[in-house]
Amino acid sequence: MVRIPYTYLNLPHRHPQECTHQINSDGLSMDQVRGQDLKKAFSAATSCLEEYRDAINALNVFPVPDGDTGTNMLLTMRSAVRSADSECPDDEEHSAGTVSSALASGAFFGARGNSGVILSQILKGFSDALDGKEYLTANEVEPAFRLAYSSAYRSVGNPVEGTILSVIKGASEALKDIQTEVWSMLGTAYQAAQDALELTPQQLPILKEAGVVDAGGLGVVVLIGGLFQSIAQNGPTQASDLVDLTDLSRFCGTNDGATKTDYLDATVEQEWGFCTQFIISKANEQDLNLSQVRRYFQETALSTVVVGDEQNIRVHIHVEDTGPALSYAESLGSLSEVKIEDMDSQNAEFASNESSETLALALLPVVQGEGLARLFMDSGCPGVIEGGQTMNPSVQQIMGAARRTGAKDVIVLPNNRNIILAADQSAVSDSSIHVIPTKSVPQGVSALLVFNPEAPWQDNVEAMTASLTEVTSMEVAVAIRSTKIDGIEVREGQYVGLLEGKLVVADNTAEQALKSTLILAGLSTDAIVTIYYGIDKNYVDARFVASELESEFPGNQVDIIEGGQPHHQYLASIE
Amino acid sequence: MTVRIVTDSSADLPQNLIDQHQITVLPCYVVVDDQTYKDGIEIQADAFYARLQAEGRTPTTSQPTVADFQALYRDLVSQGHQVISIHVSAKLSGTLNSAEQAKASLVDSSQVEIIDSRLASIPLGLAVLDAASILETGAEFHQAADKIRQGLDRHHGLFALDTLEYLHKGGRIGKARAFMGSVLSVKPILRIQDGEAHPVERPRNRDRAIRRLVELAQDLAPVQRLAVIYSTDPERMATLKQDLTGLLPADQIIEARFGSTLGTYIGPDALGVAITQSAS
Repeated sequence: MVRIPYTYLNLPHRHPQECTHQINSDGLSMDQVRGQDLKKAFSAATSCLEEYRDAINALNVFPVPDGDTGTNMLLTMRSAVRSADSECPDDEEHSAGTVSSALASGAFFGARGNSGVILSQILKGFSDALDGKEYLTANEVEPAFRLAYSSAYRSVGNPVEGTILSVIKGASEALKDIQTEVWSMLGTAYQAAQDALELTPQQLPILKEAGVVDAGGLGVVVLIGGLFQSIAQNGPTQASDLVDLTDLSRFCGTNDGATKTDYLDATVEQEWGFCTQFIISKANEQDLNLSQVRRYFQETALSTVVVGDEQNIRVHIHVEDTGPALSYAESLGSLSEVKIEDMDSQNAEFASNESSETLALALLPVVQGEGLARLFMDSGCPGVIEGGQTMNPSVQQIMGAARRTGAKDVIVLPNNRNIILAADQSAVSDSSIHVIPTKSVPQGVSALLVFNPEAPWQDNVEAMTASLTEVTSMEVAVAIRSTKIDGIEVREGQYVGLLEGKLVVADNTAEQALKSTLILAGLSTDAIVTIYYGIDKNYVDARFVASELESEFPGNQVDIIEGGQPHHQYLASIE
Repeated sequence: MTVRIVTDSSADLPQNLIDQHQITVLPCYVVVDDQTYKDGIEIQADAFYARLQAEGRTPTTSQPTVADFQALYRDLVSQGHQVISIHVSAKLSGTLNSAEQAKASLVDSSQVEIIDSRLASIPLGLAVLDAASILETGAEFHQAADKIRQGLDRHHGLFALDTLEYLHKGGRIGKARAFMGSVLSVKPILRIQDGEAHPVERPRNRDRAIRRLVELAQDLAPVQRLAVIYSTDPERMATLKQDLTGLLPADQIIEARFGSTLGTYIGPDALGVAITQSAS
């Protein structure tokens, strides 16, 4: 379901530049956006993104659950806003520069998925333009978008047009030689971003074929729209009439059902910080005030559960800093059963302390599924970062997991196209992290098998990177909508086979789709085929395909592994 | 007065080379189903591997005793020989310890030089052959021992195992522990280095393992001596040998077999390559 936000305005869309505005004598616009208002605007923009999250998630090209662009961008923005809230509390004055720098740093560490990483770079560009500025004025708008655009382009190895990058570029270019007022310039950027988004299917054929615009691009449009709306509301009153985000529903297409919002709630619980629990007991005459305590923690913490009575109150909260929470609680009564857990460590699964000696070099894969986690851990990885399709770990989570290995150097295997950028970002911040750009689990396994824990990380990176070319990766998933991609007709409910990320077959059974994909990939006489069966499949299902292949293509070795991964009935590789 | 070379049966040297260079090989002991056998004398490889793979208690090994060394050293010294005694890595076996104790008990211990090869199996065998060549050039006893020690890093060993199970059960897994794991079937390649087995990589099947052994051997060129070794599958060793003829002509490649001492740890279907690099 596409939810339509902001239905309070249903005015026809007008171009903001049609309005005239006062310019004062020294050429500066009269509006100056304070730090607080900037923070409010980003917070409002994040709310808009939340409204569009499902719609953005649904704009995936392949009819299979993917990296959930909307969710990734939203979580990245929430991290940005949370950082700004904690660095720049409401009760003090903050410069626009300070606020934007806090936003950028929060986005950086909270970035998930490729779209989240690019978004964090956009905020970095904004922050660079506002560095040292007391206010956001019309002078800064164009540089902010220009630096956002260049910073985003730089973060991507091979920039491709028809993506989020083209949208921020469109907004930036539209602002050249324009200097009116902040809100009006944002309106220009908003319109230009929509125009650029509209063009994405022309720039990227796969979007055209799927009949969608770029999902990350829509996210950026929504965010610029949200900023525009918030800042315009503080400007001339008639300006807010111009903003109507409902218009954006035209981009949302009809691809329902691609979303999996239950993950979001789980993920929000998984942010970094500390899961803190304790009991406050009445220590003097004064009864405890449950509703007051509850209100306090709801305002200062996340995932708040406060229960009890006037004698005892049990508190469960997630906070980044436990100090203030505990001091507050202590001021009310006596504390007991205090339990503080680092949520970073809950997010990654680690082998129980097999040896106390410090590892010089650890291999840390991102995987989803018990079988795959076992495979990597059984082969010498000290732990795994849980994540994969539809569940992309943040830069912060990757850094936290790497740190917890205790190893001097850590080689991270993203094992998914949409996690590589976040892993790369974690390596930018932490020089002990090294990334092998594994796009799939089979590539990760290939790298795993040449990993030598005793060799220097440089030698490993070289050998592991070289090993990626020796493996062909395939995946089979169920189609969640009917579509036509690369000339292949897919009906909802059919199984599609993807070969190196390209949809190549659609069939009525997962086994037939797997077999056809493997044959298309090319089975020579001495290939090693590995089939990883997913959580809803079993050994017998996989063995059926293996037996057929072994009889039709003698000489091939087919290994079957329990992967336990969600979303993919089968992952497979040919070496 | 001549210098004689002593080694132990874990060197896996073929009999013709032992005879040719007048090398004395002290047998290690292998215990199978509570029976103790002298490796290569009281139990031969075929019988050993058959019993290794049969149900039963895991075999164990033990080093030649101090008494074995004492008797041998006294015998050789009394015949007027000096002794260079080169043995399996002290990190893998107590053999060297037995030898040291025996030496210390001699009236004139200066007649025996003991060398820790930091190697095992046919790579140790190649170090022994290198020692023989050095002595055959007429080098003086102590100088020869120094030269042998200095040349030890030129000997290399690469082994492709069918499983790490035997190495693990035998308590010699060492650094190769990193390659334990049973989810994926792999044929781990190990290297002998600094006196113990180190993990190298994990090919997915035996054919790939042979290919990788050859590639890793080629990285060690130029080669002075080259040996191939097997535990139970001579045909695969023949394939391996054929694939290595780019390094040395086939008639110069030594063929060896893992005896029961090594077999206890390396298991069936194992292959290996040993190389002595040309002196630079």
